[in-house]
Amino acid sequence: MVTRRGFLGSGAAAAASGLVGVAGGSAAATVITNQNQETFAAKRELSFRGNHQMGIEADLQAVTNFVSLDIKPETDRASMLRFMSLITDDIERLASGQPVLADPAPELAIGAARFSAYVGFGPSLFRKLGLESLQPEGFAELPKFKVDRLQPEFSGGDVLIHIAADDPIVLAHGTRGLVRDSMPFATVRFVQSGFAHTPGMVPAGITHRNLMGQVDGTANPKLGTEDFNQVVWIDSGPSWIQGGTLLAFRRIAMQLDTWDQLGTTSKEEVIGRKLSNGAPLTGEKESDTPDLAARHPNGLTVIPDFAHIRRAAPGAEGERIFRRPFSYDAGISKSGSVDVGLLWTAYNRNLETQFIPIQRRLDELDLLNSWTVPIGSAEFAIAGGPGPGEVIAEGLFS
Amino acid sequence: MKKIAVLLASVLLLAGCAPAQQVEISDAWIKSGEMSVQGGMTAVYGTITNKTNNDIVFTGGQTAIAGLVEVHEMAMIDGQMKMQQIEGGLTIPAGQTAVLEPGGNHLMLMQLTGDVLAGDSVSVEFIFEGADSVTLDDVIAKPAEGGDEEYHSEEMEMSN
Repeated sequence: MVTRRGFLGSGAAAAASGLVGVAGGSAAATVITNQNQETFAAKRELSFRGNHQMGIEADLQAVTNFVSLDIKPETDRASMLRFMSLITDDIERLASGQPVLADPAPELAIGAARFSAYVGFGPSLFRKLGLESLQPEGFAELPKFKVDRLQPEFSGGDVLIHIAADDPIVLAHGTRGLVRDSMPFATVRFVQSGFAHTPGMVPAGITHRNLMGQVDGTANPKLGTEDFNQVVWIDSGPSWIQGGTLLAFRRIAMQLDTWDQLGTTSKEEVIGRKLSNGAPLTGEKESDTPDLAARHPNGLTVIPDFAHIRRAAPGAEGERIFRRPFSYDAGISKSGSVDVGLLWTAYNRNLETQFIPIQRRLDELDLLNSWTVPIGSAEFAIAGGPGPGEVIAEGLFS
Repeated sequence: MKKIAVLLASVLLLAGCAPAQQVEISDAWIKSGEMSVQGGMTAVYGTITNKTNNDIVFTGGQTAIAGLVEVHEMAMIDGQMKMQQIEGGLTIPAGQTAVLEPGGNHLMLMQLTGDVLAGDSVSVEFIFEGADSVTLDDVIAKPAEGGDEEYHSEEMEMSN
């Protein structure tokens, strides 16, 4: 069977816009504007190849799946390399809005919609494959924290594929393709689904709100800065992890029934920020630096001792992380209690010197702990980005 | 989108003529599954574009991993859709594209010399009448089922 199939898309589009240009006039301009709005989300692409894997140094997408996998007993280093070959090809195609090879439903590849996916590896994978010598510095299972109420079905895993996009159908279709190609090598341990704002709801770079109403992520290093590089991207150690990072993943349940009983003033003191605009209680706007020393006339600190931002502030040079938290909504009980929270992520070069000291301080004293309960936890070492022609993490498994 | 390496250069230099590219093959993949084991069979899929000004015929292929390679089609045999060899090959008119896909035309590999595992990269030569052959060195093996495929091959004696 011979067909004149596809591949005329971009040429046809160019021809169409050329015709519009000839027609000229405001009517044509309106058509273009409408088309841009209709295809705004679909056409936006994130870059796949480079020093870093995609989907980390990027504004939050609308929807996400964290897919954690456990390798099969027979999976060895050689099969991991074949696994990564498939996943690399899949992500590259999905990130440009193309169907994966052998896609049983290629018609669902309707646009990139800022699709991203990256791959990381848990401490258990290094043990299973005898790769301990290639484990990055400062990377191990997180210690137990007092606040933790961890559930195994939300925790751990040998391999993480973290997928995100601005469109739920694009996400579902991409996730399906990546999971399908994982099945010769691994089984699914968990899939945790989350969301942030729809594109256009908040300007790029503006901090998102979580389901407690707080702006969440204010003190983050800014994307594309040297500061971000210093906090997040590893530049030493085994070659496979250079350009990569370490992820602490936490599923944090919110106790909204009791949180909602607090008044605005109490909520703001728990965090140390104003709910309205995220400004510290000592400032006027979100970007103002909190004045942790400021006191009320009665002598009490303006930002209370138990406030989240005080406890989370760096205790030493370099104690910083990059947070990229999505929300989750797992339903509502018969009595109307919502099962919501965060799929919280911290990216850093070294868990021992960056994330863990911060989390220890929050574990000791943070009034926010009364309403936020970690119920899932995992850690993954995220390989550097694939250069041209390279397979993700090929240096680890070759 | 991934670019597939097309190894035409040496052939063209020897021939002393320089058409940029006669045949373009993209999105090629080979199926990995329960049947793609040593002695078994599998198939190669992809998109073949005839960039010449003449009709060409896709007549077969060659690969180190298979003892027998044929161009197959899906046909109605005894009231059922089955796969069989295309007599004389698959004609691709000038400037047109042929899609090899599960449930349709494909390059059938039989008498496999080893297992084709998910994620393997396989070198496959596509052979044409009216154009130089094209060798792809990185045809990736995808875990895939579907396409309602039932193989019909006299060589394999699998017909009902």
